[in-house]
Amino acid sequence: MADVVLEKVEKRFGDVRAVAGLDLTVRDQEFLILVGPSGCGKTTTLRMIAGLEEVTSGDIRIGGRSVTHLAPRDRDIAMVFQSYALYPHMTVARNMSFSLKLRGMPKADIDTRVREVAAILGLTEHLNRKPRHLSGGQRQRVAVGAALCRQAGVLLFDEPLSNLDAKLRVHMRTELKRLHLAIRSTMVYVTHDQVEAMTMGDRIVIMNLGVLCQVGTPLDIYDKPANRFVAGFIGTPPMNFFEGEIAADSAGPAVVLGGGLRLPLARQDLVSSAGRPVVFGIRPEHISLTETGPAISDAARAAAGKAAKVPATIDVLEPLGHRVILTAGSPAGPFQMETEIHAGIRQGERADLWFDMNRAYFFDRETEETI
Amino acid sequence: MALKVQAPKSKEQRSGTSESRVRFFEREAPFGYALVLPAVLYLAIFIAYPFLMAISMSFTDAQAGNRKWTFVGTQNYSKVENYQILANDFVIATLPTEAAARALVTARTQGKVVTATAGKRYRANIEAGGLTLPVLEMDTEEDASFLGGTILQDLEWRVEKASGGRFRVVAHASDAPVTFGPYADRASLKRELREDILVPARTSVKTNGKGVMQDPNFLLALKNTFKYTFGTEIIKLCIGIPCALILNRRFGGRRLLRGLLVIPWVIPIALSAQAWLWILDSTYSVINWCLVHWGILSPANIINFRGDKNWAMLSVIAVNVWRGFPFTTIVILAGLTAIPDEILERARLDGANGFQRFIHVISPMIRPILMVSLLFSVIFSFTDFNTIWIITKGGPYDQTQVLSTYAYQLGVNAGYLGKGASISLFMFPIMAAMVFFMLRFLRRET
Repeated sequence: MADVVLEKVEKRFGDVRAVAGLDLTVRDQEFLILVGPSGCGKTTTLRMIAGLEEVTSGDIRIGGRSVTHLAPRDRDIAMVFQSYALYPHMTVARNMSFSLKLRGMPKADIDTRVREVAAILGLTEHLNRKPRHLSGGQRQRVAVGAALCRQAGVLLFDEPLSNLDAKLRVHMRTELKRLHLAIRSTMVYVTHDQVEAMTMGDRIVIMNLGVLCQVGTPLDIYDKPANRFVAGFIGTPPMNFFEGEIAADSAGPAVVLGGGLRLPLARQDLVSSAGRPVVFGIRPEHISLTETGPAISDAARAAAGKAAKVPATIDVLEPLGHRVILTAGSPAGPFQMETEIHAGIRQGERADLWFDMNRAYFFDRETEETI
Repeated sequence: MALKVQAPKSKEQRSGTSESRVRFFEREAPFGYALVLPAVLYLAIFIAYPFLMAISMSFTDAQAGNRKWTFVGTQNYSKVENYQILANDFVIATLPTEAAARALVTARTQGKVVTATAGKRYRANIEAGGLTLPVLEMDTEEDASFLGGTILQDLEWRVEKASGGRFRVVAHASDAPVTFGPYADRASLKRELREDILVPARTSVKTNGKGVMQDPNFLLALKNTFKYTFGTEIIKLCIGIPCALILNRRFGGRRLLRGLLVIPWVIPIALSAQAWLWILDSTYSVINWCLVHWGILSPANIINFRGDKNWAMLSVIAVNVWRGFPFTTIVILAGLTAIPDEILERARLDGANGFQRFIHVISPMIRPILMVSLLFSVIFSFTDFNTIWIITKGGPYDQTQVLSTYAYQLGVNAGYLGKGASISLFMFPIMAAMVFFMLRFLRRET
């Protein structure tokens, strides 16, 4: 059992609050991702779990045991650093076995374990080489191997893929996920890349400005973002936001955006709060070129008229191959949409685009919380 | 003017003055040569010329005041004229009891040396306490009786324990050993070594001659140079590594301290050594004053730092360490700052304590830069002249004489330019060898 519990953990650097009153539970054998923009406190949180950073107040427990004031080596953790932190003067095998040697493990046992781990990671033929003779991806695997050799209850990853090129990063993403399924130890993984977060994690923790914004499974967070920040952070291209107001006059319930753009309201619970200033959000993948396009959900299609028409001008076309990202201008402001490659679209053309109002999001303009 | 608007010229024509000047500054290599030319000239005039001059001078009998220098080959380096045997600790007799040995020592005053012929040679027997002890065998009767008499009368006889519970009487010379010879060539030296001394004794060979290799002062200076260099380097590392480790920690005033640290290194040695001269003064030394003031020393036995042969070398080493350790510290500090924080953090996570981090992680990672610093530092110390010249001038009794000061004394002060040159050139192969091994070690590391 190696669950990690953070209770009201706080970290200050002088006057700056890096992490403010964080409550978080990492379940045993879970792959938890800490994600957020730079300076959101995710790395600080990880380093506090590792013991590299002192906790200003609060308590950290690993496997039920309070480790808040324990030295890093006594915490039953292993960590993979962003720069890999390999000892340049040691061979791969010695890099992987260093911690075991310091713990006084018998040499034969060390050898067996290093060979086991090297076999899992495909490093067997590199065991006698120095890190500088390895490629970036191999070094990455050595760093993971060194952490695995410890057989610690909790594995911590600090942006381990950010130094790899794009192709290798995608590959290592899969590898790490497979590794987690194979060894089943608790993993806490810090990244600023929301794609990594979505694809790898059992659960995601989104942090911003030292505060926890939302915890949940990737799809939970994608479907039900807690606030405007989370909604904008998860998803590529990011969600489109427009400022507007709820209106319920003779023309029926609607949200009125800038430029007088009026979109019929699909959510009946909002009808009562007419006049409320809101932020209207819609994901690029929920905008369609036609009223019945695949981006429009069945529910919206069934309730006719619930896909809202938005007159727009296509400004920029960014083809991805099978998909295309369009940047369009509307009376309410510019927005992006994603759709399949469509022969009919040309830059500068005027077109009517369709918003799936069933999958639109509304945020309070003051608190930015989801309504 | 009309020329300027012409179509581009062909290659052969481009050597026209205006164009070639522009091209000269645009072309990298010639411009580079032009830039380094002053440095090259400087090196040629002030380094290469004196160096070559010294080499040629070391093969002549150059002396100050002599107008004509004649080529003398390698005579300045090594020219053996004859050999001598130095012998000491003659085992006169080995006796079964201590009483018998003591009796022999007491009987020495009544003893006498009797010479007898042994073939073509003469044997010296010591007769004392009723024993006849053959000691030496020499070519002439005078030598035999003179050297036999020396052993009997001038040497100190003492009783020592020997193996098998027996006791032996040993004749020991406390100041100068007994000299045999001279012998003109190696063959006769070897024969004499084998045949002259009939009892066990400690012998060594002394070569006499004009070359610096035969000069005992030179050999002493060579030994002192190594003592000075390695004494300095070891102490510098012992101080520099902890200093660098401390200065690498984060604390208030660290930058100020780092700045202050280099002061000894940047003050001209001529000035700072002058201050040290006062600190180490035989009468007014502030160190002595403090020691007396704190009651550690009595005024009667204050330390004569520069005049006492046991303290002089330590004193000059101390001054050189004081001056040189900032450099070592700064270089090691540079090596330490180059170690990524993440590696040290990983070492902590791996379970290494401070000492283990230093042994397993920090020191292997700073080793290359440490070798570079050591290389520079060794060269500086090995050729150091200023410190020693200002503090002790090589004294007392040549106890701090190093190669550079001895070369100066012999070559400039005494006027033996050829010999001075050959002494200074002696440093060259030694340093070349040291640099070679250090660089090879460095290359293997990286």
